[in-house]
Amino acid sequence: MGKLRLQNLTRGGKIRIGLLALALILPFFPFVTDYVLHIAILVLLYMILALGLNIVPGFNGLLDLGYVGFYGIGAYTSGLLTYHFGLSFWVIIPLAFMNGALWGILLGAPTLRLTGDYFAIVTFGFSELVVLFLTNEIWLTRGPLGLPGIDVVSIDLTLFGGPKWEFIGELPYYYLAIVMVLVTVFVMYRIQDSRLGRAWFAIRDDEVAAVSCGINLLAYKVIAFAISAAFGAVGGSFFARWVTFLSPDMFKFWESFLILCMIVLGGMGNIWGVMIGALVLVSLSEVLREILPLLGMPVNVRFLAFGLIMVLMMRFRPAGMMPIAAVAAQMRAGRVKRKKVKPAVGMKK
Amino acid sequence: MLLQQLVNGLTIGGIYAMIAVGYTMIYGVIQLINFAHGEIYMLGAFFAITFISFLGLPFYVAFLVAMACCAVCGVLLDIVAYRPLRQSPRLAALITAIGMSIFLQNLAMIIWGSRPKPFPHGALPAYFEKTAVTFGGVNLSWFHLFIFTITIVMMVGLNLIIKKTRWGKAMRAVAQNKTMAALTGINVNRVISYTFALAGALGGAAGIMVGAFYNSIFPTMGYVAGVKAFAAAVLGGIGSVPGAMLGGVVLGVAEALGAGYLSSLYRDGISYAVMIIVIILIPAGLFGKVLKETKKSM
Repeated sequence: MGKLRLQNLTRGGKIRIGLLALALILPFFPFVTDYVLHIAILVLLYMILALGLNIVPGFNGLLDLGYVGFYGIGAYTSGLLTYHFGLSFWVIIPLAFMNGALWGILLGAPTLRLTGDYFAIVTFGFSELVVLFLTNEIWLTRGPLGLPGIDVVSIDLTLFGGPKWEFIGELPYYYLAIVMVLVTVFVMYRIQDSRLGRAWFAIRDDEVAAVSCGINLLAYKVIAFAISAAFGAVGGSFFARWVTFLSPDMFKFWESFLILCMIVLGGMGNIWGVMIGALVLVSLSEVLREILPLLGMPVNVRFLAFGLIMVLMMRFRPAGMMPIAAVAAQMRAGRVKRKKVKPAVGMKK
Repeated sequence: MLLQQLVNGLTIGGIYAMIAVGYTMIYGVIQLINFAHGEIYMLGAFFAITFISFLGLPFYVAFLVAMACCAVCGVLLDIVAYRPLRQSPRLAALITAIGMSIFLQNLAMIIWGSRPKPFPHGALPAYFEKTAVTFGGVNLSWFHLFIFTITIVMMVGLNLIIKKTRWGKAMRAVAQNKTMAALTGINVNRVISYTFALAGALGGAAGIMVGAFYNSIFPTMGYVAGVKAFAAAVLGGIGSVPGAMLGGVVLGVAEALGAGYLSSLYRDGISYAVMIIVIILIPAGLFGKVLKETKKSM
């Protein structure tokens, strides 16, 4: 790492390192209470989720409305394995990842050959079925009562004669979440620059051209969907061990919508944009959660703002606040064409 | 027991069919899943209840006025949200549709509150509760008959509009090929508005009837009903109006029977499962054609 000098970095690189440093020392600022730290963890969790979802609409141009289904699967995988078998968090993470990917493949393989509209509605139906399953199969999930008393995360070194350290309070989870976000971002960048990522971008930009370059559409789309689902499940398994309580209500369509909104706001396909989208929307959501009861309105009304954001973004800035060129060009394509058309001479509009 | 379930299934199925027809017509002309259609249905019920309690209109008048308002809402929805995106990729239009759906749902929550509302006491005609026909041990109330009649009249009327009138012809032309339709002198945007108005009126009527049937109206009622109606449209083959009608009735009966004989807990799950299975196995539905991905079809 000797070559890493500040003056060698680009401006973007400096900003990134600065932000990371800020994130690392955040808990030591005097104004950061447990509540602020809680929201910071929420932001980080949603960053993981948004980055995971981003693969499907952002990298592949397909609408996924059922992402929260995989989040729920991951959360309950983690919760139940801990509850019944007392497995360690570090064992559960790969298991949840694989379980998410498995369901992604099971759902994606038959449906991804269809058009985008059908795929969107199938994912929606799937996530609703997951919630119904979690609510009704009381023998497994305790249903609407919820699953309480899930063990906290711990680092157990007793096997090697070391100490056992349990994660108590928000601080250790904060750093755990930062590590998970860093890993996710690293993986996303590696995928984006790989053969796999380039194939996805080709599919997003033009399916026919992609096929004629020898890309197997179905296989690549299923891989994308499975990886996306796996990250959703990892986010869920962190969530389960962090809040130590699960209930089926936590995995309703609202959550999918919120995560989708983050991507739309930040910029579909842009890793940094998506993370900033998560930061902005989680903060906005928490602020509204405080303000709305003062105005005598139910807390869920905050989704009014999110719905409006989606509609306005699509109307005026469809590629998001931090657009990437390819998506922006695609979103603009039709509109530019329309402007060029001039009425012929002598014809009234 | 079986007969009673069947009657309930047919009643609800007819209502699903009315919503499903809206989805299918709009999909036919602009190739967009109008997620906000369920919200128009919800608005219909709220309009009716508002007209009855604040303006004191009788039920039947409120029914018609609310339907008209829903038609206007449908047109406005198209003009405000969808028309600017006609040339955009489908992804953008779909996201807008979902955004509008969530927006309208929460707007209703702000205006009318989130708690379920009943119709004002005495607003529904008194004879609705009375038994009209009894056969095979099943009591059919006048209200069942009212719903059946309205459903059938509207379906027949819609078919006549689509098959016989100039507007219907124009709608079919736009659904087949927008560019060619425009070349023959059809004002495509006006035809689309007209379609949204028809779909909105039907959806609103369905909302009022369901609201009156269960006597409970709440802002999220459009969400589940919308998805189920969409499932019905998919089952019938999206883009096909008779398919949507049949799909709605089949789904309603399947749901009633499934809830009665399998598990009432999974009542909502039945339509989701039917939808997923149909999409995977016969994506064309009962009457439709297989969709082709046309990125710039509009």
